[in-house]
Amino acid sequence: MFKILVVEDDKDLNRTVCAFLNHSGYEATGCLDVAQAYDAMYETVYDLIVSDIMMPGADGFELAKNVRAINENIPILFMTARDDMASKQRGFRIGVDDYMVKPIDLDELFLRIGALLRRAKIASSRKLEVGHFIMDADEYTAELDGEEIPMTVREFNILYKLLSYPKKTFTRQQLMDEFWDADSETAPRAVDVYMTKLRSKLAECGDFEIKTVHGLGYKAVIK
Amino acid sequence: MKRFLRIINHYLAFFLLAAFLVTCCIMLFTSTLMNSLGITLTGENLETAAKLTFGNVLLLSLLFTVVDIIRRKMTVDRTARRIAEAARKIVAGDFSVRVPLPSRMGSSEGFREIVDCFNEMAQELSGVETLRTDFISNVSHEMKTPLAAMNNYGRLLQAPGLPEEKRMEYARGIADHSRRLADMITNILKLSRLENQQIFPKGERFNLGEQLCEALLQFENIWERENIEIETDIAEDIMVHLDRELLSLVWNNLLSNAFKFTPAGGKISLSLTADESHALVKIQDSGCGMSPETGAHIFEKFYQGDTSHATRGNGLGLALVKRVVDIVHGEITVESELGRGSIFTVKVKRA
Repeated sequence: MFKILVVEDDKDLNRTVCAFLNHSGYEATGCLDVAQAYDAMYETVYDLIVSDIMMPGADGFELAKNVRAINENIPILFMTARDDMASKQRGFRIGVDDYMVKPIDLDELFLRIGALLRRAKIASSRKLEVGHFIMDADEYTAELDGEEIPMTVREFNILYKLLSYPKKTFTRQQLMDEFWDADSETAPRAVDVYMTKLRSKLAECGDFEIKTVHGLGYKAVIK
Repeated sequence: MKRFLRIINHYLAFFLLAAFLVTCCIMLFTSTLMNSLGITLTGENLETAAKLTFGNVLLLSLLFTVVDIIRRKMTVDRTARRIAEAARKIVAGDFSVRVPLPSRMGSSEGFREIVDCFNEMAQELSGVETLRTDFISNVSHEMKTPLAAMNNYGRLLQAPGLPEEKRMEYARGIADHSRRLADMITNILKLSRLENQQIFPKGERFNLGEQLCEALLQFENIWERENIEIETDIAEDIMVHLDRELLSLVWNNLLSNAFKFTPAGGKISLSLTADESHALVKIQDSGCGMSPETGAHIFEKFYQGDTSHATRGNGLGLALVKRVVDIVHGEITVESELGRGSIFTVKVKRA
């Protein structure tokens, strides 16, 4: 069972979030300030941290910074009333993984935590499995039913990205920005060419498919 | 007393002026006369004439003063008094007061301008005042309704031995209404921040088409669930130089409205076109549309076209959109027909 640390100074909010997470199959522990959170982390290893920003004493930014200094991989989700861009930027720069503006929707919190944990698992194992299809990010190999499917590094990276975030649509520009050089002159349509290649290479695979979303972008859908 | 002193002052001024003019004229006149005729005038010769002239100057100055007082009364004082009275009324909170424009005859252009500006100011103030009172009554209504609902559900939940389904229904009621209230407060805060902010960041260069794609993709869940047909025609590489975060508010709100009012199985299209100087974004839905009367008011705060949709929004989204479009010096228009859907068109400058 995944262990989640909730750092939030408002007692009621803290209690309700913890209760909700406990109901949803996680093991949540609530802390009312950052000092308590440090104590809790000495005793137990947590899989994910949900934290407020504005708290008496040390704030969420400081917590995130200190946690990141020790552990690069633990997902941190900020849950805060501050919706200005400056706070978001500051959070993401420190290494926060996700950001939700209060009032938060508990169902959405649940979905986001699920996605964060799955990605954290993919990130730490560097392996991705979808049915009979396995991708290994250290070796840059993709296998279907034990048989290797040859792929270029860029094809591999694009597919790895899509499968790490199943059901999320990436626009051509987003993929370009990530997998092509910034000064590359390639038009976003070049992404289409890669998708065609990937689809023909994966024609045999029935575990997922790459879908085109209304000319907006692409997503992987697991069956 | 003060008035009397002022009159004396005026009289003195006129007297000095007239005395100076008359002295100059007489000296010039007599010296020319003496030179040309070769006669010398002595003090004795002049005494009577001088006394008469002095009396004349005194009299003329008096006449000038009287005429001037009357002129002032007719033109300056009356207008000034009217303006002062109107200003006092405004101070007291009556914004309906207007100063009648003085006639072009016998009043300076400056006064007409002041009166014009004054009336314009009063007009603006009364507009602001109406907005403020409307805003307060709207806000309190919009806030109290969900609070009252939550309160009621809370009381209902206290009843012992509720059947499970009732309990769920009441709890969901509380959750829904608190969400609605929270959304509204978020919007009010955003709007008031935008309305009070005077200086905006210069903006950055970014790809508008990409921003539109990302905005539309946020609604992917909804169109899949509701089976809404999506049509896109987004021109590539249209760059703009604007505040990116602000502009995304526009697309989010317009798209969220489009999805809100489009029934399952409907259709939404998003297009981006451009000419040399401007980019044109069109968001079209096949929703319920609205009447021209509604269309004329939708950008006003808390205006809601159809009260039966009152629970689905808070009447602030489009006010936000309008404010942002104004800030980035863009234009927004809407075409709509009841039962056929609406088209919102936003025009912004290209980078």
